[in-house]
Amino acid sequence: MPSRVRRKLFLLALVGVVALLATAGVAAAANGGFTPVTPHSPNAARTNDAYYVILAFTGAIFLIVETLLVVFILKYRSRGRGRTVDAVQMHGNTRLELIWTVIPVIILAVIGIVVFYEIPGIANAPASANPIRITVEGHQFYWQFDYPNGARSINDLYAPVNQVVDLTVKSADVIHSWWIPALGGKIQAIPGRTNHIWFKANEQGTYIGQCAELCGLYHALMTAKVIVGTSAQYHTFVTSTAPAVLGKAEFQGACATCHGMQGQGGYGPTLSSDPLLTQPAGLESVIRTGRGLMPAVADTWTPAQVKALVQYVKADVYKGAATSGG
Amino acid sequence: MAVRTDAVYPVSWKDGRVASWLVTVDHKRIGIMYIVTSLFFFVLGGILAVLMRAQLATPNETLLTKNSYNEVLTMHGTTMIFLVVIPILAGFGNYLVPLMIGARDVAFPRLNALSYWLFLLGGVVLWGSWFATGGTAKAGWWSYPTLSELQFSPGHGQDYWILSIHILTLASLVGAINFIVTIVNMRTRGMTFMRMPLFVWSMLAYGAMLIVALPALAAALTMLLLDRKAGTHFFIPSKGGSVVLYQNLFWFFGHPEVYIMVLPVFGMVSEILPVFSRKPIFGYKAVAFSTVAIAFLSMLVWAHHMFTTGLGTGLDSFFMISSMVIAVPTGIKIFNWIATAWRGNLIFDTPMLFTLGFIALFTMGGLSGIFLAAFPVDWQLNDSYYVVAHFHYVLFGGSAFGFFGGLYYWWPKMFGRMLDERLGKWFFWLLFVGFNLTFLPQHMLGLLGMPRRVYTYHHGGLWEIYNMISTIGSGVMVVAVGVFIASVWIAHGLRKGIRAGNDPWLADTLEWYTTSPPPEHNFDTVPYVTSARPLRDLRRRLAEQA
Repeated sequence: MPSRVRRKLFLLALVGVVALLATAGVAAAANGGFTPVTPHSPNAARTNDAYYVILAFTGAIFLIVETLLVVFILKYRSRGRGRTVDAVQMHGNTRLELIWTVIPVIILAVIGIVVFYEIPGIANAPASANPIRITVEGHQFYWQFDYPNGARSINDLYAPVNQVVDLTVKSADVIHSWWIPALGGKIQAIPGRTNHIWFKANEQGTYIGQCAELCGLYHALMTAKVIVGTSAQYHTFVTSTAPAVLGKAEFQGACATCHGMQGQGGYGPTLSSDPLLTQPAGLESVIRTGRGLMPAVADTWTPAQVKALVQYVKADVYKGAATSGG
Repeated sequence: MAVRTDAVYPVSWKDGRVASWLVTVDHKRIGIMYIVTSLFFFVLGGILAVLMRAQLATPNETLLTKNSYNEVLTMHGTTMIFLVVIPILAGFGNYLVPLMIGARDVAFPRLNALSYWLFLLGGVVLWGSWFATGGTAKAGWWSYPTLSELQFSPGHGQDYWILSIHILTLASLVGAINFIVTIVNMRTRGMTFMRMPLFVWSMLAYGAMLIVALPALAAALTMLLLDRKAGTHFFIPSKGGSVVLYQNLFWFFGHPEVYIMVLPVFGMVSEILPVFSRKPIFGYKAVAFSTVAIAFLSMLVWAHHMFTTGLGTGLDSFFMISSMVIAVPTGIKIFNWIATAWRGNLIFDTPMLFTLGFIALFTMGGLSGIFLAAFPVDWQLNDSYYVVAHFHYVLFGGSAFGFFGGLYYWWPKMFGRMLDERLGKWFFWLLFVGFNLTFLPQHMLGLLGMPRRVYTYHHGGLWEIYNMISTIGSGVMVVAVGVFIASVWIAHGLRKGIRAGNDPWLADTLEWYTTSPPPEHNFDTVPYVTSARPLRDLRRRLAEQA
């Protein structure tokens, strides 16, 4: 009887392991969250290389430890021997213990060496390139981007393909964390500090990410898009498109989170019927200093930027004062 | 004949059923109060966790508002760390340390009672803050400024949070000093350091780490409080303060904290595993010294929580290496435990199931930590759901599975009755399956790019599937905890559990020498200790005489 039970158990375990491996294989082939997202920048690619090396070692250790555990559980189970029966009374084995001290040291040293080999390619942008320097400023609850020519955009960062983009990451209020998974790791945007990160997108497209450090009420909605186009598209954007759509982008990035895309209200009050939208000076003071629960969204805006918002909300958001009392 | 008017043995009000618990300085009663209070907060913190999982079950869910989600995540983390894991381990330490070393009580029994009542007060202050102006703290359990400063966190919740942690810090410090003094001075005759139970070793390390780490936290919170209330600007950069200073101080406490929450559980595992393998621990010295090594190294790894702060490659490299070094003594423990089961006579009672579950799950949590120690990889994984999965494998799969094993193991000693084995096995398997369903998919979510602490998400596809699996898993764990509560009710209310006797497991350590539950003075006599397994020695001597 016990041997039949044992055979059944082994069969069950075998089927389980095969099923698990099959699922894992399928999911891994589809990159179902078993590895970081497909990299589109050299630093992200090198991070993935380091990830795979660590996965190989830790995966092997995991399998060895868990297999030993399961095998011992099956092999040395009591089988009705009872509590009073002593097992082999061994108190240790210095040689064995040295082995399982030294082997992890060697494995960790190898992992460490691989990481140190990969670091320069991850932390430092390629030296020969002529990088485009863009400043990223985190705000409650939007991202603001400043381009070399003085243009500004909100939440959507435009960049040319195959060029090194060096990001200077700052914050105006609380700690945020910049993270576009396909374009490399995170870096915190810290008030009073300047941090750097870079990417070199290898393909045109839109890469999404979001703030990774709890920054308040709308942390979950503080998303960012990196829109990578050709060099020509990038230049068109920073010279003409960005200034033209700045007011709209500001409204959608900084105001609409709380007040709704049409200013219809949401967490914040309704704007579309608020006469304040037609009073430039009053509006500027509210957005620059905040009011009540509202953060000072525009504390670092230029006068031109404020003007763009004032023009946009007056023309496109304001629908006239409410006629009935409300 | 005169009639006696007063009783022969006058009964003081202090001996009343309730009053006797309120005025007690008995380490066993204080230990039980610690454990019961912690389990109560475990249920409260668990309810918050289930609320969060319900909110995240599907995209764009509106069960919790974003405001209350931030309250719930802050309270869940703070409760589980400060009101569940640390105090329940203090509870086990209180109950067990004097019994294990053959002492009558801890060194300072009144201080011990103070420590418990401060802990309860801290818990009441924290949970009372739901009624504060503006609700509870909302800045997460580490409450980074400037988010936690007055400008961004108005209302009184953050102040109550600081007050509560200050009270709990005081409680833990008092307790830590008590443990160290007790262990160093009050061991019974013959119990040298190298004959001490491994759980006692781990409580010694627990005490030492608390004493080193807690002042850093207290200092950081005092500065934060002054910023909020007295107009200072330690952490306000626009006035010359530094938020990175707070991060350094907080994590100088925060990482030893992780080992504070897991070392005593290592100690429990090192007690339970040999008893249910009918073998001595494999490599007593290696296990004891690796405890000391972990306690020391835990002070040198804090900035691995700050790899995305932008400290520079030099500092990052130092903290990567130190974090990897600490994996070595941790690995030694795991291999020694597995070797303890090797060629054993394994008996799968509930304490053993939880212990084996602990080894399986903690291994996973330890290995996922290697990814996070490698700082370029951490830049991808930091603050994502991968980290949430990692530390739940360490703190729930590790600490909680460990202390549930300990609870089943020492329950008969504490209350004199056995918990139902069949329900215990149900509890274990439901919790084990539910735990893995909940937290395994969170690794994938993190790798897919889901940050932690978000109240909602808009992605469908894999995000939705993994989140849904995770929520279902949390439901299974709710059922598991229900089974546990039912088994306690059955053993002590509905129909009484079997009487335990002094030593139901045929264990090795001194607490099983006395009755279950032990008398107030613990022991009438204590045998002279000649090895790390005094009770086994005693059984053998008795067998030889027979």
